[in-house]
Amino acid sequence: MNKRIHPQDVMKALSDVRDPAGRDLVALGCVKGVEVGEGRISIALELPPPITVTTPAGQQLLRAVHDAVEALDGGKVEIHVARPAQAEPAGASGPATAPGTGHGSAPAQAAGSAPKLAPGVKTTIAVASGKGGVGKSTVAANLAVALASAGRSVGLMDTDVYGPSVPMLVGARRDPEVIQGKIEPPIEHGVKIISMGYFLPKDEAVIWRGPMLHKTVQQFLGDVRWGSLDYLVIDLPPGTGDIQLSLCQTASLTGAVIVSTPQDLALTVASKAIAMFQKLNVPILGIVENMSYHVCSQCGHREDIFGHGGARAAAERLGFSFLGEIPLDLRIRTESDRGQPVALDGATPQGKAFRDVATTLEAELAKMQLPEEIVIE
Amino acid sequence: MSPFPRKVTLAGANSSVAVEWSDGHRSLYPYGYLREKCPCATCTDAHGTGSRPTARPAAASSSVLPIYEEPLKPVKAEAIGRYALGITWSDGHATGIYSFDYLRELCPCGRCTEGVASSK
Repeated sequence: MNKRIHPQDVMKALSDVRDPAGRDLVALGCVKGVEVGEGRISIALELPPPITVTTPAGQQLLRAVHDAVEALDGGKVEIHVARPAQAEPAGASGPATAPGTGHGSAPAQAAGSAPKLAPGVKTTIAVASGKGGVGKSTVAANLAVALASAGRSVGLMDTDVYGPSVPMLVGARRDPEVIQGKIEPPIEHGVKIISMGYFLPKDEAVIWRGPMLHKTVQQFLGDVRWGSLDYLVIDLPPGTGDIQLSLCQTASLTGAVIVSTPQDLALTVASKAIAMFQKLNVPILGIVENMSYHVCSQCGHREDIFGHGGARAAAERLGFSFLGEIPLDLRIRTESDRGQPVALDGATPQGKAFRDVATTLEAELAKMQLPEEIVIE
Repeated sequence: MSPFPRKVTLAGANSSVAVEWSDGHRSLYPYGYLREKCPCATCTDAHGTGSRPTARPAAASSSVLPIYEEPLKPVKAEAIGRYALGITWSDGHATGIYSFDYLRELCPCGRCTEGVASSK
């Protein structure tokens, strides 16, 4: 049975929770509000800078808060994390400013490119392919991890509702929680993640028509507490369908990254995806050649199983940037199976390949002229 | 890149929507005309279920006082992705998505319509 708890009791419990520097949360002024209801305790919190929800330290702190209040036995514990006031990153003076390429500097705020439904997200990157099976989800997940490893705040949205592979690729350990009517995305390897895979029992299929898919895209953008992010990487389903269109309509995408294997065929089909984005005024940020060559795990012999260089040649021909090559490597797959994206370890050649793509991508974004927002009156 | 709207004024001159384009062109779309050209599936009968007329229904003649009907006008517009404008009208219709290309095609000004005529 739930005891009747006083807000004072909650405050006392919270004052026992320390941040990593050993400071008491209540004394820091982080507790913005406490509400005790019937079988429910709600807390509004601000995390002490520099801790944010996206860091492991932040998550740990939230757990500690949750456990401390739960121990009072007053019912269900709800935590609402208020977004602290945003400080402008140094040097961000407007959309045309090229950010420094030094370490740790966040990209300048892109005026007019934040999706209306998720206003804290600065840059949205769609990862697309023409056909399936080119490794798009692996590239998207590793790209997100690589960007996070470079110190950016990153989210990963897996919109492939038919074959959501992202939770497996990142070794999903936690489930999303619904807090105050919004979905709190779990954080894996420093990346906030949402995927249909979290909401379906393992063996259930999604057999939906257009309007449901559109609604899913809107919910993934608008009902998920993404917070303030430098990048939202969006893993699209293969091809050019409802979800791609919904995304282009619902969000003002900063740009699209096209994943292709070296074979001409992969690229011919990819050109359809490219045409779609161009028609919808979404800039093509560049092309990634996945499965670019195979390196034998035993003897190191390199073989161009799917050919090599086809995507780079096509990028040059079409006037798009080439973002890099990712080899077909046993280790990428085994680490994916373990839920440990290789991009976590920049010292390995596989991890470095992904990190190089991330670096090149950021350079491309820096060069981009950011879109003007239409003035409507 | 094809021209895109820099500024859209819903309450433009002569009951028109005014658009300033990125290439300097200016367009004026009278409300009735723009509403008539709504490209949504219902208006264009893309569903095959019979297009709905854009004209308002005639006021009921049996009542003593005619029901006042507000003249048609756009109440809201918003950017759809990066390629289109969505308009909500005072008659409740809100499903029209006017791509920038389509909107530019619709420009009824002398220069634009002249271009169409001379290409025939």
